[in-house]
Amino acid sequence: MSLTDTIKPARTRAGWRPGLPPLQALLPYAVPAAILILWEIAGATGLVRETVMPRPSVILATAVQMMLTGELFTHLGVSAARALAGLLIGGGIGFLLGVANGVSRLSETLTDSTLQMVRNIPHLALIPLVILWFGIGEGAKLFLVALGVFFPIYLNTLHGIRNVDPQLIEMGRAYGMNGRRLFFRVVLPGALPSIFVGLRYGLGIMWLTLIVAETLSASSGLGYMAMKAREFMVLDVVVLSILLYAALGKLADTLTRALERRALKWSPAYANA
Amino acid sequence: MQMPDLAAHGVPTPPMLRHAPEGVEIAIRNLGRSFGGQRVLVNLDLDVAPGEFLSIVGKSGCGKSTLLRLVAGLDRPTSGSVTVGGLPAHEAGDHLRIMFQEPRLLPWASVAENVAIGLPRGPDPRAVAEALEQVQLADKAGFWPAQLSGGQRQRAALARALVSHPGLLLLDEPLGALDALTRLTMQNLIRDMHDRAGFTAILVTHDVAEAVALSDRVIVLGQGGILTETRILRAGPTTRGSAELAAIETGILDAIFAR
Repeated sequence: MSLTDTIKPARTRAGWRPGLPPLQALLPYAVPAAILILWEIAGATGLVRETVMPRPSVILATAVQMMLTGELFTHLGVSAARALAGLLIGGGIGFLLGVANGVSRLSETLTDSTLQMVRNIPHLALIPLVILWFGIGEGAKLFLVALGVFFPIYLNTLHGIRNVDPQLIEMGRAYGMNGRRLFFRVVLPGALPSIFVGLRYGLGIMWLTLIVAETLSASSGLGYMAMKAREFMVLDVVVLSILLYAALGKLADTLTRALERRALKWSPAYANA
Repeated sequence: MQMPDLAAHGVPTPPMLRHAPEGVEIAIRNLGRSFGGQRVLVNLDLDVAPGEFLSIVGKSGCGKSTLLRLVAGLDRPTSGSVTVGGLPAHEAGDHLRIMFQEPRLLPWASVAENVAIGLPRGPDPRAVAEALEQVQLADKAGFWPAQLSGGQRQRAALARALVSHPGLLLLDEPLGALDALTRLTMQNLIRDMHDRAGFTAILVTHDVAEAVALSDRVIVLGQGGILTETRILRAGPTTRGSAELAAIETGILDAIFAR
């Protein structure tokens, strides 16, 4: 049995991309910082007029002032709550239908072709109809966000479940797994990477839909804040709300990535990410 | 088919027991399996004694994997029957375990968690540790499968198959994808485990030398049935490379290619 000892040791890292030294972790922020600095200089020297594009320092002052009055947090909170609620409703239904159609042929036969038809309608094209149905209340925004988030999560969940290694499923069956146990131990973890792709894609659509919906019809939220500021030509608030959308989008993506890295830590693709 | 002459290679045959304490017996009667109009197995009869190590060789497409899948209960016969320890194959459940050509470990479960899948009654850390010890992977219990080498993964799969002390181990070319050295190591390990635990084993392989090195009996499958059958007397440890085994190997190869 001496041969057994000669088996080569495990490779722990599968990294073809060399890791960055600590200081270079700040590198992704270099370009945005440079843009801010150039922008400030261009504004301060009068190269770009305040009525076209206010300087970052002016926007920052406006932001601080709006934070002090609490107005900013109200709008931010309203927008975030709409985004989250739409994501939970649309994403939840998309996930459940994706699972159902991935697992059951009957369910897929019944619903998939209908869903594929609806998918080909740009959901923002429904805005006139949605306003007629829901008025400009919360329902309209929730409906649009939920509809927009639904499809990427539905499609990627379905795709993920379909593409779980059939050899692993056969192994599970051969080892006496069935029903719930097979689903939670083999199918769902196998579909998870694809579900995360759907979630991240859905988050992008979530913000996009919310911006459009709030800009068209709302009485609160970041989009409303921007539209009201436009009417009064308050340019710094318009730019501020756009920047806040960018920040919120980035925050959501960062949180999802952290979640993904935690949930998929078994995968060599995340081993040293 | 005649009953195998067990005494010839020293396997005890208790006449009253259907289960030997360690290995289960397999009875295949009149077995047929067709895919569409193609008859892969035709009226096949085969008995495997408790504790016997049987290898099945043959050209690709001869139905050897089909036969193994039928014994594993992963597939149902078109006609005839397969019984494992007196039960129909698909009801044999935890009596039998199968090792595939690929390790088929769950990538999202640690090595220890993967081995625990083999336990029908929930995780048992002591049994898992013992099984990992036997395949010399005790120090890898907390690793992800992606962190193991090909041979280590296949050893983890072996631990998973044997952790429940099954009466029958089915091996579907489990060493086919390994390099030559790792393969020899694994052959010794499987043979060792078989000698120790005494389970019945059926190995499907395209490597005749491997079949001869491991088994008590080698059958050549072809034209839907058993072409030839060769018993290998095993005196003491594996006598790999001996002239006698080489002659047996040549004989089996001749049968496969019908020379």
